[in-house]
Amino acid sequence: MNLHKIGVKVLAQNGDSVDLVELIPVFHRWIQTAAVEDLLIDVADYSHVHQGPGVMIIAHEGDYAFDESRGRRGIVYYSKHALGGELADRLAIVTRKALKACQRLSAEREAGGVSFPGNELEIFANDRLLAPNTDETHETLAPVITAFLDKLYGEGAYEIERENDPRERYALRVRASAPIEIDTLLERVAA
Amino acid sequence: MTSWRERLVDRTDPELTREIDAYEQQLELKKQGKVEANLFQETRLRRGVYGQRYDNGLRHDGIAQRTLPFPCGDLKKGPETVWDAPGMSRIKIPFGGLNPEQMELLADLAEEYSDAILHVTTRQDIQLHYVHIENTPDMMRRLAAVGITTREACGNSVRNVTGCHKAGCCMSETFDVTPYAAAAMRFLLGHRDTQDMGRKFKVTFSGCAGEACGLTSLHDLGYIAKLNEQGERGFAVYVGGGLGPVPYQAKLFSDFVPESEILPLAQAVCRVFARYGEKKNRGRARMKFLVHKWGIEEFRAEVLKEREQLTPDPAWTAYLDEVAAYGEQPPRPGAPLGATDDAEFEAWRATNVYRQRQEGYAIAMATLPLGDLTSWQMRQLADIARKFNGGYVRTTVDQNIVLRWVPEADLPALYQAFKAIGIARPGAGTIADVTSCPGTDTCKLGIASSRGLAAELTERLDAKFGTLDPRVKELQIKVSGCFNSCGQHHLADLGFYGVSRKMDGATVPHFRAVLGARRENNAHEYGQTIGAIPSKRVPDFVERLTGLYLDQREEGESFPDYIGRLGKKGLKPVLDEFSEVPPRLVDSSFYSDWRDAREFNISDIGTGECAGAVVSRIDFDLQEAERLHYEGQIALESKEYQKADDTAYLAMVEAAKALVRLREPNISDDPDAIVAKFRSEFHDTGLFHNKFVGGNFAMHLFRRHEDKARRYDEDNARHLLEEAQLFIEAAYDCQARLSEQPQLQPSLA
Ligand code: SF4
Repeated sequence: MNLHKIGVKVLAQNGDSVDLVELIPVFHRWIQTAAVEDLLIDVADYSHVHQGPGVMIIAHEGDYAFDESRGRRGIVYYSKHALGGELADRLAIVTRKALKACQRLSAEREAGGVSFPGNELEIFANDRLLAPNTDETHETLAPVITAFLDKLYGEGAYEIERENDPRERYALRVRASAPIEIDTLLERVAA
Repeated sequence: MTSWRERLVDRTDPELTREIDAYEQQLELKKQGKVEANLFQETRLRRGVYGQRYDNGLRHDGIAQRTLPFPCGDLKKGPETVWDAPGMSRIKIPFGGLNPEQMELLADLAEEYSDAILHVTTRQDIQLHYVHIENTPDMMRRLAAVGITTREACGNSVRNVTGCHKAGCCMSETFDVTPYAAAAMRFLLGHRDTQDMGRKFKVTFSGCAGEACGLTSLHDLGYIAKLNEQGERGFAVYVGGGLGPVPYQAKLFSDFVPESEILPLAQAVCRVFARYGEKKNRGRARMKFLVHKWGIEEFRAEVLKEREQLTPDPAWTAYLDEVAAYGEQPPRPGAPLGATDDAEFEAWRATNVYRQRQEGYAIAMATLPLGDLTSWQMRQLADIARKFNGGYVRTTVDQNIVLRWVPEADLPALYQAFKAIGIARPGAGTIADVTSCPGTDTCKLGIASSRGLAAELTERLDAKFGTLDPRVKELQIKVSGCFNSCGQHHLADLGFYGVSRKMDGATVPHFRAVLGARRENNAHEYGQTIGAIPSKRVPDFVERLTGLYLDQREEGESFPDYIGRLGKKGLKPVLDEFSEVPPRLVDSSFYSDWRDAREFNISDIGTGECAGAVVSRIDFDLQEAERLHYEGQIALESKEYQKADDTAYLAMVEAAKALVRLREPNISDDPDAIVAKFRSEFHDTGLFHNKFVGGNFAMHLFRRHEDKARRYDEDNARHLLEEAQLFIEAAYDCQARLSEQPQLQPSLA
């Protein structure tokens, strides 16, 4: 499948300790110092919205956010333009960007000690033309995604739950049996 | 299916598909450098595709202004607008009316092309931000498939037609204005007489004169429902209102216009505005300046004269059959609800529920912070609407969303459903329900962060909402990021707009206070401008001023009356109290804006696209000819010779029409009429002649026009496309000569 608009959310632990407004200066700093990949454009503040995208960095290639959709906070990255390689490579690129942002955020003083246990992810397709939330999409994408997850967590070491509202984006919620360091995940993504 | 076009073509009005195809081709032509930047900018604006902050490729990151190295290089989508820079898409929602299917689609678009946020504007549109221009054709196709357009949402055109969100359900309305607003929207959209205006044109419908839902006074053309002595329907009509840096109250044009006359009147007003409105000075181009310059009597006389000259159009009255049949069908019977013992629910009910004139029904309002809701919330809200009220949803000019026809007995369950998705904040229409334009978050013209201030005020006022005095609760705050008034600050008890001040060698964000507007009688009195307050002191200023009002008000005195009594002089002490900016070393927070950590500066302010450039009708027509020519080339490449040939011919007819319109603005689309007029006015007079080839290029058109037994083959199509190219070039040439030598310009009929 020629899918390029892919997103990954890495769920946070104690995410509620983060004051979203405090992330605004952090993200501005990231833009100043090009702390994460992509052509970073601006910070968008949606801290006033209930369970929304929180605070975002709008970039050209994709968007970053400390997101709180469905009441679970975490770092999300989703691509908006064409990515290189096969679908598996694209998935790896998007995951890498999200994980690096997690690494970076955990080191920020203003982030209230947020951490990322690494064992919970959401992977979604942000393209209803190519990948609506249907069984057909699932049949096509699941093998690629599970192969990728096997690489991250090991075969059989995680559970997958599929988004069941057909109107929502095709999404898989992944839960590994044990926490895993973000560094380790990054190494496995690169392998 | 590989494209949205393919997937949706059977579900879309063919005319809309054609329009969007044409727009998509314009994108392609622009990428090939074949469309001039101003023209392309106005083309996309008229399709609701708007610029956004930093789209000139520059952004101050708080340390220095930096170039944003977008991969598109030099490719532009306007004179100063980088192709790859994200932009805003404005989606027209006539009178704010939405159904669940449309809501779900909007939610999808926000997720896939924007940032999963839907923003309700003060004119009942929905805006999506950070949209890449290449996604806009697909977005338009998906919208068209559910009956929504972005056409003429921006640019020098008739913008969204707004109307009361309570229409049809309101206690005080004369009659339901909805079908009239819908008819006006359909009639004016793309109408030939609205294509050559020097500036935007806003139309609204209100059901009564007393309330402020339609905000007639600030519109170019406002209709207020009225019955004459015989009980026949009509409207009081107002013209020439507008906010912006210089706000004008609309003037009464007529105190009764029968329903059958409202569309021809709108047409006549548009024609007068297009013909006599200012075109060069952007700051004085709105119709309010024309009405002011002429005076209402002269303006009225000119419009009525124009009205007399209009060729009758069946569309003026065809819609009246629908008016009688129009009405929403609530799925459940109305059922009253007495007082409950749920204090939380009752607090919400007190501010967010309006009892309809139909017994047992209510309108319930979801208060959206800063007009924002997420894709997920929108989808859930669509479900809630299906379940509770048959899907009758409207956006409001206060940036909220209402569900109409909710049986009152269902309100407690509806409240719980709202609560589950985070839209059950009480305080709709109160001081805590702050309105704001996009300001520096995304607007190129923003000076100060209106959304940052509005978010801060909302948070503080929400926190103490329960303890606020009712006389303070009922006040309203509206914030604009600059003097252009998109946040409608002139209409608030406490209005603010962004300005800046130089202090301590730096620029400090400020807001100028505009106080004491009267919203009743369709917003008949704007607030008065007082002084400027540092941005960071505005929340304390609000607290202090409202406190003073409670302490100092006279018996029965309203806030506007209190402000009026104090006047500028009386308000000066409280302003002075809050005007000081401490040196940076003492408190550096004053030197950055709300919710924006960067040191404040105004170097990011860009050139606004509110109006776009004034692009004349002939430019659009010639561009359309070029586009048709391009379409013909594509057809030739795909070996569709008949299509290529016919399209090349149509391209020449279109170019001829562009010139003919200079002489006869209302020429029909009939090729015979166009070619005949072109021959007599441009060919026979020598106006079209090129100094080297004389009238040869015109012959290309004449020959093909007269060829009634056309042989369609590759050679013929190819030759005709070449001839069409020459003809279009000659038309451009002719246009240039005419503009350089105005004495040659054919006078307007
Ligand atoms: S008021 Fe000014 S800042 Fe706000 S949207 Fe309008 S032009 Fe932009």
